Amino acid sequence: MAATTLAPRTTTGERWAVRRPGGGVTLARPGFAWALPATLFFAFFAIVPLVLVVVLSVTSWAGIGDVEYVGLANWRRLADDPVMIDSLWLSVLLTALGVAVQTPLSLLIGVWAAGQQRNRAVLSAIFFLPLLLSATAVSVLWRALLDPNFGVPGQARWLFGDGNLFGSRTGAIAVLVLVGSWQYIPFHSLIYQGAARAIPAVLYQAAEIDGAGRWHQFWHVTLPQLRNAMITSLVIMVVGGLTTFETVLILTQGGPGTDTTITAYYMYQQAFRSFDFGAGAAIALLLVVVATVISLIMVRVSGYDKMRSTLEGL
Amino acid sequence: MMRLRSRLARAVAVGAALALALPLAACGGDDAGGEADQIRILVYGDATNKVETQIVDTFNKTSKVKAVLDTIPGADYQTKLQTIINTNQAPDVFFNWGGGSIAPFVKANLLLPLDDMIAKDPGLKENFLPSVFNSAVVDGKAYGIPMRGTQPVMLFYNKKVLADAGLTPPKTWDELLNAVNVLKAKKITPIALGGGDKWPTQMWYQYLYDRVAGPELFRSALGGDKSVWESAESRRALELMRQLTDAGAFGTNFDSVKWTDQGSPTLLSTGKAGFELMGSWAYSTHQDSKPEFAKNDLGWTAFPSIPGGKGDPRNVAGNTNNFYSVLKKTKHPEAVAEFLKLMYSDEFVQAQLGIGNLPTTVNTEKFLDTAGNPEYSKFQFDMVKQAPSFQLSWDQAYPPAATTTIHQAVQQYTNGRMDADGFIKAMQSLQAG
Repeated sequence: MAATTLAPRTTTGERWAVRRPGGGVTLARPGFAWALPATLFFAFFAIVPLVLVVVLSVTSWAGIGDVEYVGLANWRRLADDPVMIDSLWLSVLLTALGVAVQTPLSLLIGVWAAGQQRNRAVLSAIFFLPLLLSATAVSVLWRALLDPNFGVPGQARWLFGDGNLFGSRTGAIAVLVLVGSWQYIPFHSLIYQGAARAIPAVLYQAAEIDGAGRWHQFWHVTLPQLRNAMITSLVIMVVGGLTTFETVLILTQGGPGTDTTITAYYMYQQAFRSFDFGAGAAIALLLVVVATVISLIMVRVSGYDKMRSTLEGL
Repeated sequence: MMRLRSRLARAVAVGAALALALPLAACGGDDAGGEADQIRILVYGDATNKVETQIVDTFNKTSKVKAVLDTIPGADYQTKLQTIINTNQAPDVFFNWGGGSIAPFVKANLLLPLDDMIAKDPGLKENFLPSVFNSAVVDGKAYGIPMRGTQPVMLFYNKKVLADAGLTPPKTWDELLNAVNVLKAKKITPIALGGGDKWPTQMWYQYLYDRVAGPELFRSALGGDKSVWESAESRRALELMRQLTDAGAFGTNFDSVKWTDQGSPTLLSTGKAGFELMGSWAYSTHQDSKPEFAKNDLGWTAFPSIPGGKGDPRNVAGNTNNFYSVLKKTKHPEAVAEFLKLMYSDEFVQAQLGIGNLPTTVNTEKFLDTAGNPEYSKFQFDMVKQAPSFQLSWDQAYPPAATTTIHQAVQQYTNGRMDADGFIKAMQSLQAG
């Protein structure tokens, strides 16, 4: 700190500019006070509850009566609980399927919606609608649509057979992936649309001069330019997927049996249905750890943390 | 630089202190129990609140201590109740399902035994049907006063479907199996089942166990004797259930059908199914969605008898009633007692009958003619009155923690993913009281 000196405050633009002994000018960080409101907000609504969850996870508490310290009993129970292990695997599976279905579709729709075609604005607006509905409303709607006797499966026996979609693991998972995709593809399309709009036209002009067709333009210009948008979208999808809850609660209640009991739902079941808040807290903590590790890996592997501009050299 | 730093540190400290103080302030502010001269009454929020509001108004006309009615809408009732009952926002009197729904509160020493109140006014016990009153007795002490209508489970049927197939309502198990085969041959789902909700499936188990083994088996299990689940009678009940599913009684897609989204009631009312085992609320559901069907073609009968079974065929299962229980820390037990007395008043009975509920007081009988459908109300009332035993729904007899396990076990045994041993093991894993 002693080696740096504050630059003379000439213009607002250079306000945080710091002259280094070496001679180059870099941007210094503003004081911590700037981050105080956000930090307090985060501490109050994230850190404090998280600490409480850690404490709760080594206790036994039914919501009434005394909180009893039980050490690692909850954790040992979870380690032996087949439903718990299955739920983690299921969460990952549902997330992976969600990413696999949603990414290509949102990418295509987003890039298409970034263009200048006729009717594009109208179609985009219609396509955007599911995002305006709450996840709960969407789930209730789909539950009714998929009734085996009076919904779509009842009318399309050739496709659905007896329509017992919620009676098998495959069927129930397919429904969850479908409903999740229907709801969230518009959001991710929006990310891609915005990013595709920001790609400088010169790149396409240059590509055209080089003789690149539509396909090559998409493959060699659009896709690489969308790298950061893609990582953003992926991180949101993965974290959202791991914490999916309402759709499971309303569509399958974790069933048939425990076939769609994903970790977030299992946490709810233990804490708010079985009133075992200790076990619920332990599951919650496990979910936090798993989601954090997966996000960290994604950020590291993708180089998102460095956030290199896609416009270098332009 | 140093000065700036310390100012920053102070700012952080103040901010942190504020953040810590905030939740304390939030908790301290909302002290509902602080009002000196009122009793707070918490009920499940639904259409019956009309009657509860009316009764509270009646009470407030004469009482110095005023009653205040709070409602929690719908399915979250039990969860929210459990989170506030040990705080200073707890009500004085609250709605519950008796049995297991209050057992954890009794265990935590939160509830007032009503025996003293009953000693002062024996009417608080004598005016109610015993089979109903008893389901809110925990460890030999009364903890609840019935406060809504009884909801026995009955076998509903579509009169037209049965007539077209040349069938009469089944009185025995064999007649039921025969009806299943006849309807199946006609490509009609014999019995509508909202398996997606799971509790409709559980109704079959409650009745089968009661008819085969009598109410004692479940009572022992609830009392902690887990060996009864392995008994020959338990296996016999499971066998009968398997007989039914193997005969195709519920079709193949029942796991995707729900009662709660109108799926299974519509199967019955449109003639795509012949029967449905359901609580007495089925009548008002059909009346709301298809009044013509409810009026002309909806039939009802008791659960069939089972040859060689130990259980009395007059036994009933279902929701005995809802109850008011009283918190131990209420400041106005006398006022609460006065309020509870209204639950057997003529005004209460007439108001409940007026909206289609069937109260379980002894004076209900003389008002049955005023009910919306006297024939239906009389059938139910006689059924409950004559029943030697009224089995409270399993998921309500056990504490709420057991619900998930019971529901999964009945679902998986019914769809064939679990065998009898698996079912028995699941039921043995339940913790009573």
